[in-house]
Amino acid sequence: MKIPIRMISITTTFFWIFLIVFLVSAVYSFRDVRFGFEEPQIGLTSDNKILFSLPITIDNKGYYNIGSFNVTTEILDHEGFMITRASTFIPVIEKSRQVMATHNVTIDANDLQNSQDYLFNDTELEVRETVSIKLAEVIPVQASTNLSMPWGAPLYNFTLGEIEYAGFNGTHMTATVLISFENHASFDLTGNIQIQMYNGTDIQVSEGQTTIETPQNTPYYGRMELNVPIVGATESGYFEVYFSFPSFTLEEPLVIPYD
Amino acid sequence: MTEENKDLNKRLQKFTRKALKATIKGVFFYGIYFVLSMFLAPVSEIVLGFQQMIEVFVMVYIFLMIIGELTAGTIVHHFFSGAKALFVILYLIFALNGGIVGITVQNVNLIVDLRLFLVVAMLLGLLGFAKSVLQAINFLNEKAEHVHF
Repeated sequence: MKIPIRMISITTTFFWIFLIVFLVSAVYSFRDVRFGFEEPQIGLTSDNKILFSLPITIDNKGYYNIGSFNVTTEILDHEGFMITRASTFIPVIEKSRQVMATHNVTIDANDLQNSQDYLFNDTELEVRETVSIKLAEVIPVQASTNLSMPWGAPLYNFTLGEIEYAGFNGTHMTATVLISFENHASFDLTGNIQIQMYNGTDIQVSEGQTTIETPQNTPYYGRMELNVPIVGATESGYFEVYFSFPSFTLEEPLVIPYD
Repeated sequence: MTEENKDLNKRLQKFTRKALKATIKGVFFYGIYFVLSMFLAPVSEIVLGFQQMIEVFVMVYIFLMIIGELTAGTIVHHFFSGAKALFVILYLIFALNGGIVGITVQNVNLIVDLRLFLVVAMLLGLLGFAKSVLQAINFLNEKAEHVHF
């Protein structure tokens, strides 16, 4: 019986040493792995979705390969509704190698619940970031964090100014409306604004359309001229404003009263 | 010198040898821990209580090892050997929280899945326990062979 006992002894000792050395060296070698997350870039995709690009650099100077590198981003609104989810996966990062990848997250503005809030008001979005790897392709490690990301409204403080009437020609007059807003979004805004003017008895008296081009983080000031019949004009009423941009379309009009 | 004194001397010599062996083993094991702890220092900086957890393990393990060595040549030695193997298994299960270790550093939740390591360690522990049982059986067997009726 002594020989089997000795064999068990030798085997267990060997495997214990192997296991401990492997675990300690795998953990220790993780010190030499460098993760670089560069400044995220924001823009629009070819199908006019909002695109966040995060360049990632992984420099594996450890003793072992890194397996199953995965970055997952979930963006949620303030009510916890998931707006988008994106993952970037790298199967293996070999030792002594540097790998660069771009983690892309797209947001379709039309998918935003309560779109009007996001178009006219600055707010915060919740970002859930998860990074997972397999140390030495064996030990799974996962790091996750919650961040808040500022959302800049593309039509922040959208207002229509006082109506200025001019140019009477007997039946019609020209009503000039000042349009102003600030594009707080991180992308340029190009599209159409259509304004329908209603009098006090809910009858449409005029409409006009204008094309706007507003670079990111800049204010917009413009004016629209509406041809209003004198008969239908009343002192008070309301405007219905329709927005149509490649990145989003607001189906419900914005109603702004005037008097 | 009487026969009784000779016997006492012999026993003392035997115990000294055991104590010396236990000391050498203890120092050797502590030396291994000391070297490994240098490699694990970065983990200790991040994980609060990690150093303490390892130290408790090393302390109890060395204690059981010394006691086991001092009782060498008796059945108690094999009991301590088995206890040592079971202690390793149980301590790993509790310390590693079943294999899923989670820590929070600032706003980052870190989860390390050590289940595979735990399973291998448990199997090795069980093998060590089986070895102790076999050694105990062998010891009793050999002792029985020496009994003359």
